[in-house]
Amino acid sequence: MKAPSRSVQHWIVPLATLAAWELFGRTGLLPRYLSTPTLILAALWEITLDGELFSALASSLYRVSLGFLLGTGAGVLVGLGAGRLPGVRHFFDPLVSFLYAIPKIAFLPIFLLLFGLGHASKISIIAFSCFFPVFVASRHAVLSVNKVLIWSAQNMGAPPHTMFFRVIIPSAAPQLFAGIRIGLAHAFVILFAAELIGSKAGLATLITEGEEAARFDLMFAGIVCFAVLGFLSDRVLMTIRRRVLRGQIMGTEEQVVR
Amino acid sequence: MTSRALRILANWYSIPLLLLVWQALVAGGIVESRLLPSLTRVWGALVNDIGNGVLLYHTGITLSRAVAGFFFAALIGLPFAAAMGRSETIRNLFEPIFFLGYPVPKIALFPVFTYVFGIGTPSKIAFTFLECLYPIVVTSYLGFRGVQTRLIWTAQNMGASPLVVWWRVFCPAALPSIFSGLRIALPIAIIVVVLTEMIGDSIGLGYYITISSTRFAFANVYAAIVVIGVCRFVLDQAVLALRAHFVHWQRDDQG
Repeated sequence: MKAPSRSVQHWIVPLATLAAWELFGRTGLLPRYLSTPTLILAALWEITLDGELFSALASSLYRVSLGFLLGTGAGVLVGLGAGRLPGVRHFFDPLVSFLYAIPKIAFLPIFLLLFGLGHASKISIIAFSCFFPVFVASRHAVLSVNKVLIWSAQNMGAPPHTMFFRVIIPSAAPQLFAGIRIGLAHAFVILFAAELIGSKAGLATLITEGEEAARFDLMFAGIVCFAVLGFLSDRVLMTIRRRVLRGQIMGTEEQVVR
Repeated sequence: MTSRALRILANWYSIPLLLLVWQALVAGGIVESRLLPSLTRVWGALVNDIGNGVLLYHTGITLSRAVAGFFFAALIGLPFAAAMGRSETIRNLFEPIFFLGYPVPKIALFPVFTYVFGIGTPSKIAFTFLECLYPIVVTSYLGFRGVQTRLIWTAQNMGASPLVVWWRVFCPAALPSIFSGLRIALPIAIIVVVLTEMIGDSIGLGYYITISSTRFAFANVYAAIVVIGVCRFVLDQAVLALRAHFVHWQRDDQG
């Protein structure tokens, strides 16, 4: 009796919002720039058919995935290195603690001048901004690995690579994923801003085009695609996390944040 | 004393080293000085624009927007999180919005905000409010939910009225989570304001960066970056000081 009413309650607010939006939009109580859900769906269908959606999606996806992978890869590698080797740590710590505090988007003009208006400037600034949260999380994760685990492995004669792949990486993995998740969120924010400020292709450009043509249904279609893309990437990351951390999640109460 | 100086040097050498490399690259003409202005020029731009008040003016605008959005998000988000933590109906109604909406990149909605609130200050504050609301509500809601029922029972058992339970048990127990939510949200506020100012405005640090870069005055871009870093550091210290005051039973390194 309890369970169905709960899942019904979950749907009330989102559905009521959509219904009110549609209703007030149709009766003209809402300004025209808010469009209506059905018009947005129609616009989505329209840009799917004429291929505009796919070219915009392909370009945005290419930028965000490459930037994210480069930034995350570098962040994990350098972060693990900094966690293990004091020399690396002492070199990167001051730089990161200084740069971490600055919104990376402020560097966009410099990246635009360096790499031009095409893919390269977006990819590099996305990578740049993903690097920091991932670095901080993995550095911290390695340093907080239980010393007893390391001592036991050493005691049993584990060679360095076994130590790294069988002890350090597995116990650092949960924190690594937390950092990567923040990096992913940053990647989408930066992608959007970078595409809005200097770009000729991508989902953000789709949104501005809709805006300029006063086709607000198209603008919202672009917004919906962008939001869904960000949401799905997070879901994919969380699924990978659940696979990788299967053993560690088992038996513990997963946080409410799914 | 010398060993202490050496240790500081060993821990911090990379910043002066990087600055030296920067200066050497510029002096040696290896990179275009237009793109990477010399440190003295960055410093000059910083001192000049602070002196004539331009940078202070834009910083004031950006900071007031960020703090306003952050403040409203805390003002509305915290009671909301408390209500979600206590009432099952409210929790069921709003949990999907906050937990499913959390990973959605809300920045995509900014164009809509400019239509609803105009391109000036109101849309920046409203959007900062939205971006700060999520971490504040989610983090402090988890804190409110995590309050041990045992504590509440104990207080009730000792005859505490509902109001006293709220004020003396429930809120203090959630306070550490509330502060970590605030600490996550504050830098987001600054990032979001600078970012939206870069997208479109005629005042604020984000605008200052954009306009300086279109004039190829990159020394001013770097000067603004330094100012943003200082602001963020100061605000973070302010939240930490508030936390130390209100959550005096929790040590600093636990947060």
